[in-house]
Amino acid sequence: MRVLKNILRQLHTFVLWALASALLWSWIFTFVTDTSPDRKVTVYCYVDEIRDTELACALERTMPEGLKMIKVHSFRYVMFNIDSIENGDIFVVPASVIGEYDELFTDVNGQYGVKIYDAASHTGAAAEYLGYGDEDYYLFLGANSPHLEDGKALAVAMDILKN
Amino acid sequence: MEKTLELYSDADMAELKKKLKTLKLVLLAIAAAGLAVCIALAALTNTANAARMELSAVAVSTVTGWVVIYFVLYGVTARRRELGHAEMLRRDERQRVAGRVTVTGEKLRIVRSIPVRRVTVETEEGAKSLLVIESRAEALSRAGAGAVWTANGYVAAYEAAK
Repeated sequence: MRVLKNILRQLHTFVLWALASALLWSWIFTFVTDTSPDRKVTVYCYVDEIRDTELACALERTMPEGLKMIKVHSFRYVMFNIDSIENGDIFVVPASVIGEYDELFTDVNGQYGVKIYDAASHTGAAAEYLGYGDEDYYLFLGANSPHLEDGKALAVAMDILKN
Repeated sequence: MEKTLELYSDADMAELKKKLKTLKLVLLAIAAAGLAVCIALAALTNTANAARMELSAVAVSTVTGWVVIYFVLYGVTARRRELGHAEMLRRDERQRVAGRVTVTGEKLRIVRSIPVRRVTVETEEGAKSLLVIESRAEALSRAGAGAVWTANGYVAAYEAAK
């Protein structure tokens, strides 16, 4: 009873600590779960539903040497800040938005956009991880990707297409 | 014949200081352990478990912090205030007040200070009201003292029959 009274008397302190603790470790984990652009490949997918962690784990199993992690994000992740997707390595987008973001894309092995999902047959790569809509989807390499020359972005893109 | 008994003897002071030091060390150890666990969770993070590890780190940090905060507020602070009070009783000038000593049931909590009980001493000039630290109230009550020594209105020592 006395313990409860003591806690209630300083409830604001305990609540403040809980908030501070959550903020502090969330901030720390943004560094723990990230690395420099040259040691990761970032995939942005313009889909409604995405199992980003599962796809990242699957891709990390066969990622090229020298990479520390694969990051997979929905486009909603950077909804308010177009700048942060500019350096994306791989993009999976529906045909209807290619024009809107085409300055971000470049060829995949000389081909501008590889079809990753066919709406007519409802078949596509990485379908268990990406919730495709009712149109065709295409995979592009990022025009500003730091992994164009070392081939790592292409290697991960090939892995996505195999999944 | 009566003897004067200090509310805080040398042994009591040593015990207070030792308990305070021990409590501080224990809390420091708990805080360090909590931090070590959080650091270990961060170090063991990978893509698959990142969300779970972050949640665990927040939970460990929060709970450890609550425990430390509670015992700092209600353990360390309380003991530090008692130690400060005891040092004042032993250091400051005293006055002897003779008369029938009664420890009342009236408890007072002085803001940012020690918990105390009111003491009345029936002197020849009339009733005199004093305060005694709560942790020593029962001992004073049981002693059946015929006089007390006070410092700044607080009972510092009492005369009990041998």
